[in-house]
Amino acid sequence: MKKFTVWILFLVTLFVLFLSNANAQRTIKVGILDPYTGPAAVFANDALNSFKLELNEINKKGVLGTKIEFTTRDTKFKVDVGLSAAKELVMMEKVDLLVGTINSAVSLAVSDYAKVEKIPFIVWISKSEKITGEKGHRYVFSTAENTYMAGKTGGIALSKKPFLKYWIAGDDYEYGHAIADGIWRNLKALKPKVELIGQSWWKVGEPDLVPYLTSILAAKPDAVIVCGGGATMTNSLKACKATGFHEKIPVYMHTATDHAVLKPLGKEAPEGVMGTMDYHFYHPDTLANRAFVKAFQDAYGNPPGFPAFHAYVTAHLIAKAFAKAGAIDKEKFINAMEGMKVDSPVGEIEMRACDHQAVLPMFLGVTKKVPQYDFLISSDIITFSGKDIMPTCEEIKKVRGGS
Amino acid sequence: MFGPAELISQLLVGISRSMILFIVCAGLSFVLGVLRVPNIAHGSLYMIGAFTTFSITKMFAGSAGFWIALIVAPLLVAVVSLVAERALFCHLYEREHLMLLLFTFAISLILGDLVKIVWGAEYKSVSAPALLKGSISLFGASFPRYNLFLILVGPLVAIAIWLFTNKTKIGKISRAAAVDREMVGVLGINVSWVFAIAFVIGCYLAGVGGALVAPTVSITLGMDHTLIIEAFLIVIIGGLGNMWGALVGSLIFGITHSFGVLFWPQFAIVFPYIAVVIVLLLRPKGLLKSVW
Repeated sequence: MKKFTVWILFLVTLFVLFLSNANAQRTIKVGILDPYTGPAAVFANDALNSFKLELNEINKKGVLGTKIEFTTRDTKFKVDVGLSAAKELVMMEKVDLLVGTINSAVSLAVSDYAKVEKIPFIVWISKSEKITGEKGHRYVFSTAENTYMAGKTGGIALSKKPFLKYWIAGDDYEYGHAIADGIWRNLKALKPKVELIGQSWWKVGEPDLVPYLTSILAAKPDAVIVCGGGATMTNSLKACKATGFHEKIPVYMHTATDHAVLKPLGKEAPEGVMGTMDYHFYHPDTLANRAFVKAFQDAYGNPPGFPAFHAYVTAHLIAKAFAKAGAIDKEKFINAMEGMKVDSPVGEIEMRACDHQAVLPMFLGVTKKVPQYDFLISSDIITFSGKDIMPTCEEIKKVRGGS
Repeated sequence: MFGPAELISQLLVGISRSMILFIVCAGLSFVLGVLRVPNIAHGSLYMIGAFTTFSITKMFAGSAGFWIALIVAPLLVAVVSLVAERALFCHLYEREHLMLLLFTFAISLILGDLVKIVWGAEYKSVSAPALLKGSISLFGASFPRYNLFLILVGPLVAIAIWLFTNKTKIGKISRAAAVDREMVGVLGINVSWVFAIAFVIGCYLAGVGGALVAPTVSITLGMDHTLIIEAFLIVIIGGLGNMWGALVGSLIFGITHSFGVLFWPQFAIVFPYIAVVIVLLLRPKGLLKSVW
């Protein structure tokens, strides 16, 4: 009997040792979903490059005695493809959390899946306010600015201008309309005298916007609000320059001051277009931002864009949250993420506990030529604090039906 | 509500847009007519034309780059298409249309990835030459100089196509092949090379369209998909394989879009498609005679 007990104790000890060893060797697995083909690939690659760069640094010290590794899947900007990829990453690759994506529709679909499967999902580029607003839940987080924040910033900025008659134009899809609704709702609330005299909506990817601008010129509004994303912004600026539109009518475009939009146009971009962004590689001119830009530029030959900034925040939040959680455990990770603060190139960023939305600042500026760059940048920048442009926790509770 | 200045300006904007569509669609229609190939990769060649224009303009300072690109970029596209035709397409002309459709779709995906490998995923932009920058005032309405240039180029290309198909031997043979390819073969003409030349000319026009559109848009991956759907619709309403049908179809598409934007901007997207539906209801085989 005594011999039998010794054997049992020996086997139990071996089993415990095996388990602890296995846990020490297990890496933290992140599944990334983004479109790596098509026009949006430029943003997806920017985010991925930054994420890789930050993980290299994080993994030098390690997290919980192990490393964070990642695997990517191409969503092709499609909901069905993105959702299938998410399922594959969870079921086959056994990832500990999901990260992505640029398409709000894909993000909302993956968010629903994450809720059912109880797996954390961090949205890093999609801008629909529904992600952490109306459709938010315990398992979804966002490190990207959203349409509510952009809308409120635009509304406040334009309410201080003397314009009364507005025209709204943009991409005819959820994001374009959400930005337009957000800006107009806030502008109308702050300055009830403003009037919307017309709207133009073009299909996503519309290459030639000249017919739209010439027709808006004929309507003679005081100012125009352009709501779109990606290549549309470059096309809009190009059409403004070709028609001289911006010299006749003031233009506000949410992401007109984005580096990815302005750089392709070089010195040919129009000056004086108002725009908002949540990150510029040249602003704020802090040590942290300079260090981030230098590391990124050295690695990839280009300065980081806003997706790279979001990926930086995401990587550090993941590392810090797992360290705080003390284990590779999804529920503990979520608890740790709530209210967590990380240092970033633009200052300290908080992951708000009530809605899982990162508290990000917004920068309002005007496009301008400067001697030190061969492309236009945002100038006369005014910073809006994240807390001033986000919905309150009470508002979030209300849109989620009091839950 | 709108004065004559706005109406004329919007009409001209519509016509200028139609000219790029016409040049690309003429090429697509030519390939459809002579070879009976519904070439989905035609849009990819248009995209390569635009990206090549970008690269060439980067090599030369000032406006010279654009003018050189306007000549060289379509020629490079023609070379790419000749290689593709001799290596791949020439073995498949006798296959069913569905197979050709799938085959050219596959080629378009491959070319899309090749463009990404060569030029990357970032947006590209080409400046209009100094002479064509900015806008002029037409009856008090602002009109881009470059669009005026497009309105002049479109008819020149149309005349060049007409001269080629009616006044050159190879053009006449191509027209004959479009109507009765067996008969052309029976006459002892090397049909294989007639097809190759027709294919290259069609693709060259896609390259011209890509080079011409470059200063007006941001050059991005996916610009081929945006164009090819419109191009097929235009070719169908114009009459399959009919070059003048491509011109009429392009004008309908461009002008209805332009006036749609002016009169009902919130729903302007649907106007060209409504025009397509109306044409197909009234004339299911297209406005002009189809060679199919």
